[in-house]
Amino acid sequence: MSLRLIVLFISLFMATPAALAVPPIQKATLSNGSTVLLMEAHNVPMLSMSLVLPAGSAFDAKGKEGTATMLAGMLTDHTAMHDNIAWADMLDQDAIQLAASASYDTLTLSLTVLKDALNPGLDAFSEVLKQPGWNQQRFTIMKQDTLAAAQKEKEEPGVQAAQAAAETLFGDHPYGHRPAGTMQSLAGLTLNDVKDLFGRQIKPQGAVLAVSGDITLAELLPLLEAKLDGWQGKPAQTLAGIAQPEVTAAKSVDVQMPTSQTMVHMTRLGVARSDAGFFPVFVLNHMLGGGGFGSRLMEEVREKRGLVYGVYSYFSPLAVPGPFVISLQTRADQAEQAETVVRSVLAELAAGKITSAQLKASKENLVGSFAQRMDSNRERVGLISMIGIYGLPLDYLSVWTERVAAVTLDAVRTQASRFLKPESWSRVRVGSKLD
Amino acid sequence: MLFRLTTLLILTVLSIASAQAAQLQQAEFKNGVKLIVEEDHSAPVAMVQVWLKVGGRDELPGKTGLAHVFEHMMFKGSKELGPGEFSRRISAMGGNDNAFTSTDYTAYFETVPSSQVAKVLNMEAERFANLKLRDEDFQKEIKVIMEERRMRTEDDPNSRMFEELSAASLRLHPYRNPVIGWMQDLEKLTIEDVKAFYKKHYVPNNAIVVVVGDVDFTEMKKVVAKSFGRLKSRPVAARFNPVEPEPFGPKRINVEVPAQLPMLAITIPTPVWKPGENDREVAALTLATHIMAGGRSARLSREIVDQQRKAFAAGAGYDASSMGLDLWYAYGMLGPGQSPEAFEGALWALIDDMERKPVDVKRLRAAKRNIIAAQVFAQDSLYLRAKEIGRMEVVGIGAENRDNWLDEIEKVEPSDIQAAVKRWLKRDRSTTGLLKPEVKS
Repeated sequence: MSLRLIVLFISLFMATPAALAVPPIQKATLSNGSTVLLMEAHNVPMLSMSLVLPAGSAFDAKGKEGTATMLAGMLTDHTAMHDNIAWADMLDQDAIQLAASASYDTLTLSLTVLKDALNPGLDAFSEVLKQPGWNQQRFTIMKQDTLAAAQKEKEEPGVQAAQAAAETLFGDHPYGHRPAGTMQSLAGLTLNDVKDLFGRQIKPQGAVLAVSGDITLAELLPLLEAKLDGWQGKPAQTLAGIAQPEVTAAKSVDVQMPTSQTMVHMTRLGVARSDAGFFPVFVLNHMLGGGGFGSRLMEEVREKRGLVYGVYSYFSPLAVPGPFVISLQTRADQAEQAETVVRSVLAELAAGKITSAQLKASKENLVGSFAQRMDSNRERVGLISMIGIYGLPLDYLSVWTERVAAVTLDAVRTQASRFLKPESWSRVRVGSKLD
Repeated sequence: MLFRLTTLLILTVLSIASAQAAQLQQAEFKNGVKLIVEEDHSAPVAMVQVWLKVGGRDELPGKTGLAHVFEHMMFKGSKELGPGEFSRRISAMGGNDNAFTSTDYTAYFETVPSSQVAKVLNMEAERFANLKLRDEDFQKEIKVIMEERRMRTEDDPNSRMFEELSAASLRLHPYRNPVIGWMQDLEKLTIEDVKAFYKKHYVPNNAIVVVVGDVDFTEMKKVVAKSFGRLKSRPVAARFNPVEPEPFGPKRINVEVPAQLPMLAITIPTPVWKPGENDREVAALTLATHIMAGGRSARLSREIVDQQRKAFAAGAGYDASSMGLDLWYAYGMLGPGQSPEAFEGALWALIDDMERKPVDVKRLRAAKRNIIAAQVFAQDSLYLRAKEIGRMEVVGIGAENRDNWLDEIEKVEPSDIQAAVKRWLKRDRSTTGLLKPEVKS
């Protein structure tokens, strides 16, 4: 019965004016120095949470690319207390979903549990951090399987394009490899490399624990303090220490693969999360190729010419500028035509050929679909942890739609001229007929 | 549709409503259109899905891919809306839209602010009734679909192998044909085929409207009565659902294409859920598959990958809410030095062990708990909730049976799992496929 009352309360809350439409993010700092951010949601008896740490692939040592990804795998495979079999049985017994993954900047440890399994869930979560297991035999097995998977990935054009693009765009910069690493770097990884990254970077100070679900801050905090008791320290490096990537001249790289299609993957530097032009760039990308049907690229390459099934663009706003990407796949003999169309769309936008009607359409879609961006616990956790780790204001979600609505035509044109000049884009092609 | 790499997903699709799931409310209109609503007022959004009882299985020989081509044509304009206009309007209301086609169904969906649901349903009914099917649009769209096929199947060795394996596994059942269609058929399709398909299958009796989210059922009934409810009633053809002949012995194929590493997979035709007839058996098969391939303690990973080192990844899948039958499958990804023969032997040894020995009670309890939990987690997504309702309805299980599935899962005993494995997962009924990396001379 109490559940129903809470649901009713929430829906009244959601119906109040716009500024209140987004449930607030509540913030607390644990005694070990980590930040807790909570958004309550009581409609389903579950919780999702993510602990985000500055331990992504940007922190892989030179020649040891893939370390962060291997660490993520090891952390969730077993601990010092439980071997991999006992660990798996224990988690499955309570349907505890525990996972870890590495992206460029961060390593994320995440937990999804039923409300009634929160206690054992948090026990497992803290055991990973406080008593990691470093079983050499398990490391050897996981490394062999990771190497085989990396070889299998050579069947995927998208993976090969992403690796070549990272090298082309970032060179020796920490973003110059995929988080998964390469077959060559993986072959040289040792258990010590993985332990070393853990020892340097998996520390509470500066870490962000984002939570969404059926709990209050008053319930959550004592639990976290008790479970994480004893986990202490400060990471050796922070995201602020990641160097600015250098802008280099556009290049062309070809990767041979026995496919009937050619993948055309174009890239250049985008923006950092902290960039003052973030919102205009965000709206611009939606118009270019981030908005699916209705975006310029989809309209010109697919709808008018039938050259592709999909063509899209995205930019990764990281601690420092990450990649801006445009990607498509088409039958080999049409690749040149498709690329020409993409480049002419870029040139038009860069020259400021954007109407206020087009801007209005993009803004309407982004503002209206905002509620969907956060209509599940896992999506909310993703947004909240991003806010926490990049130090964005806590009212970021509440003012998000206002920020998008306030983007002017001038601001979008300025960003288009900054980012979309065709000559500033590098190109990676993957396929069998690349002349 | 047939081969998803994680079993967990497959198991959640069918599984059910926890205590938290709201009541389903249903209405049927005179012309045969059905409405199913699940109210959830926790956020001001709604998921609208229009489901059609037509899919790849309803295509005539030589016309594979037509149901999916048709789905694309639904976005190419109607009497009131120009090409692309439908999606533009949804976008302007802050929504997004898309569609999916399988062998058993076609569905069109929109996520929108809940204040816009009535408008969306009117637009859906309008294009359903007044589609403009122009040859110039078709000529472009068929090219797009050929690119889709190249991307998803022709340039992906694993997909290629599963496509061939499905075709080799079945003689009559339509799961033998790929939903995207064979390239040879796509090359021959015409706008006349599309028009004939529209006339035959897009009739009110084949349509189910599902709405999940911040809406009111009484209001929805009024809106659907004035939109879909007014479509002219027309006769509907019986669906193609043949009885697959029993296999006479094991079959085997090789697929040689450019690839880095081999993969071996087996398929076995298995029964699907017929409520009241085979509940215990299909629930037992679902749990058997989960024990083999679901969660962290999955036996395929633990025993064949980790202990025996016969593959670097392995999985299995079974979907009790298919139509007519399901192609149960298991596969192993083979790394350097791992042989297909050794993996195949290990896989059958594991299946035999499942038949011979009763499953550990703790393991069974964990499998049940995971299936139930997955259902609760799925409540978090409007899309999955609506999809589950629509799917149960179109394959003939009936959405009203949704809440019974977890009960059936709960009832399964170790001996039920042994019996189900013994009866269905037999070598003599299997087809084995091997992806062999092509060796260039």
